[in-house]
Amino acid sequence: MNTWRRVLVVAGWSGLGLVAVAVMLSEFLARWPAGSERVGPPLLAPSAPFPFGTDLLGRDVLSETIYGMSLSATQAAEAALIALVAGALMGFIGARLPRYLAALLHWAVASFAAIPPLLLALLLVALSSRGLCAVAAGLAAAPLAFLRTFERARRESLAGHAAHARATGISGSALLNRDLTYEFRDALLPTIARALAAVAIILSTLSFLGFGDTPPHRDLGLMIAAARSSYFTAWWTAAFPALALMLLILLARLAAGLDEGERP
Amino acid sequence: MSEPRVLLELKDLRVTRGGKVELEPFSLLLHAGETVVLLGEAGSGKDAVLRTLGGFFERDEEAVGRLRVGDGEFQPVARRTKPALRTAYLPSATGNALDPRMSAAEQLSRVLARKLSCPKPAALEELRGALARFDAAPSLETIQAPVARLEPAAVAFGLLAAAAAATPELLLCDHPMADLSPLAANRVTRALLEEQTRQGFAIVYCAREPHPVVRLMARTIVLRRGQVVEEGSAAHLIGGQTHPYTKSIFKALPADLARPPRAASRGEPLLQVQNLMLDAAHRRRDAIGFELRRGAAMGLVGEPGSGRRRLLDAVLGLERRPGRVVFDAVDLNLLSETMALRLRRRVAFVTSRDGALDPRMSLWDTVDEPLRAHLNLSRELASDYRDNALKRVGLASHDGRQAVSSLSPFDRRRLQIARAIVAAPLLVVVDEPLRALDAPAQSTIRDLLGEFRVESQAGFLVLTSDFSVAAALCDDALVFDKGRLVERGPIATLLAAPREAATKALVEAATLKPAA
Repeated sequence: MNTWRRVLVVAGWSGLGLVAVAVMLSEFLARWPAGSERVGPPLLAPSAPFPFGTDLLGRDVLSETIYGMSLSATQAAEAALIALVAGALMGFIGARLPRYLAALLHWAVASFAAIPPLLLALLLVALSSRGLCAVAAGLAAAPLAFLRTFERARRESLAGHAAHARATGISGSALLNRDLTYEFRDALLPTIARALAAVAIILSTLSFLGFGDTPPHRDLGLMIAAARSSYFTAWWTAAFPALALMLLILLARLAAGLDEGERP
Repeated sequence: MSEPRVLLELKDLRVTRGGKVELEPFSLLLHAGETVVLLGEAGSGKDAVLRTLGGFFERDEEAVGRLRVGDGEFQPVARRTKPALRTAYLPSATGNALDPRMSAAEQLSRVLARKLSCPKPAALEELRGALARFDAAPSLETIQAPVARLEPAAVAFGLLAAAAAATPELLLCDHPMADLSPLAANRVTRALLEEQTRQGFAIVYCAREPHPVVRLMARTIVLRRGQVVEEGSAAHLIGGQTHPYTKSIFKALPADLARPPRAASRGEPLLQVQNLMLDAAHRRRDAIGFELRRGAAMGLVGEPGSGRRRLLDAVLGLERRPGRVVFDAVDLNLLSETMALRLRRRVAFVTSRDGALDPRMSLWDTVDEPLRAHLNLSRELASDYRDNALKRVGLASHDGRQAVSSLSPFDRRRLQIARAIVAAPLLVVVDEPLRALDAPAQSTIRDLLGEFRVESQAGFLVLTSDFSVAAALCDDALVFDKGRLVERGPIATLLAAPREAATKALVEAATLKPAA
């Protein structure tokens, strides 16, 4: 990794660290409790008492954006963890199955990966329940994480050094241990970051389309959706939540080294 | 007799790269039809001379100096200037000059067509004609195959044919024989010299080992860290070198091969191979049988594709073949895969294959792994073994946390020996141990393997196409050709009186004579 890319990665993870702190301190950072209506005049433009303005119901957009960011980031973290376990870990193990079984598994997951993750998430939400949208987003992002890890693990298990190790009696479990160590060291963080970016987009889109969270829980996608009617007359109602969402995705992509990755 | 025509003259060439001096002021007078060898390790500055003459500088490279072509005026050397000469480039056959997935003939004819400004079919015919002129060269149809499927010698002939078909005035040779077997290198060098006699082009030949100096018998300039340390005719340099660096390079030349037979070690039988068939199509009389005792070393000598690697795979139980292989008193064909794996713990490898070590692992982990995987040693004891092994191969001063990917080929080869040392093997498989190394590194590796052999009392199987390597490390040898074992015996006997044509050719190639 070159120096410039390393700087971007460090910047991305530092930013995500700050987001995590903001999530933990959201109760303190927000001036008003979540969903507090009529704390100011409706659709008040950004001003000193309300830096991000107010929305149609007189809610403080800054406080709501902080809560929305907190909810979106938490759900994205849960979904990324699911994508990591159901995708990357399965890919790592799947690549070590007997050749025909591995090929079958690869073919099956590649078929799922051919479906756009957003549509897959919609299908999974429809088959389960609205409350499981984080699980649905995680599972929808998993096939791409699986394929990426599978290819890498397959390449390593077929590499010349693995053949040499086997020819000198290094057991399969020792080789697995070796690969796991380096996979953890070299690929875990980028995989998490890529999954985080992907699921943040899926979750927000689900909410925007009305398949995600319902009030009083308002994530960034739902906030943007709620601001649709007022967007052209009061831009701040949608612009600030959208910027917060962009920031979250950008930071995750930076942390992944600006890798396209599992873009839904 | 008239003085040969001056082809080009370089004066006070100085090359820097990223602010670092690559080549101190360097001058070269080259006559038409002359050959000059630039000899030195990686980073010696020889490649900078080649790039200047070819006009293909690296991105951050700056060159100053003057150049004249023929009787013309001196012109300043600049980044984008290229001598007004028909120049051809002959790279290494095992480098990345050609895409391994694509047909060699296809790629070469495309380059040639551009060079000659002719249609591709015409370039293909030129290539065919050039190949037909060389003895032992493959046909055009053979090199239609993807590069990865061809033997390095076939690729080298293809590259030479493409260069020769361009009818150059100057041929820039960038380590073209570096990773070829001695036999292949001899054949390609002979073709190169014949073509030079026919066309009269001059050659600037970069080499990292002294073997081309002997084959070409040409004026040689020895470079080290951008400076000329010695210069003279081949005969003069081979006869005796004055600079210690030149001495260290020429030490890599094979010593006198016709040495008296060594007293072979007579330990317990370690490896017994009986009636092993390498090919299902072989008849019973082609079955292979031999015995390797503890402390003894057996050379498996032959060109790539001659069958020696198939024998090794069968011996290690990596491929099941008809016949009997007894390793450490256990018949490998009777063992389950798990038991065979346990037995292979006593096998160590030292190979020229770059991918033999995991590039992600650190130096320490690489040496530690056999100890951790096979023995239940305390951390202190394991690190003692590791440190001793690293010290023995001269890697103790390296940072142990450094990744293998950051090591030079020489350091990786030494690391393999350190890993082999800690594994306390019964059998050490050494596969082309000197390939792709600079001359001083070759001497060091040869010495390290020799010491390891003496101290370990393990059996050694040495796969090589170079009889001089076999002579340095082994007592006996099996000679392979076209998938068959053709001759066997003590090395000294094979060197003194080879019976088979294949053995004769291998011995002749290893004794290094001028190719002309």
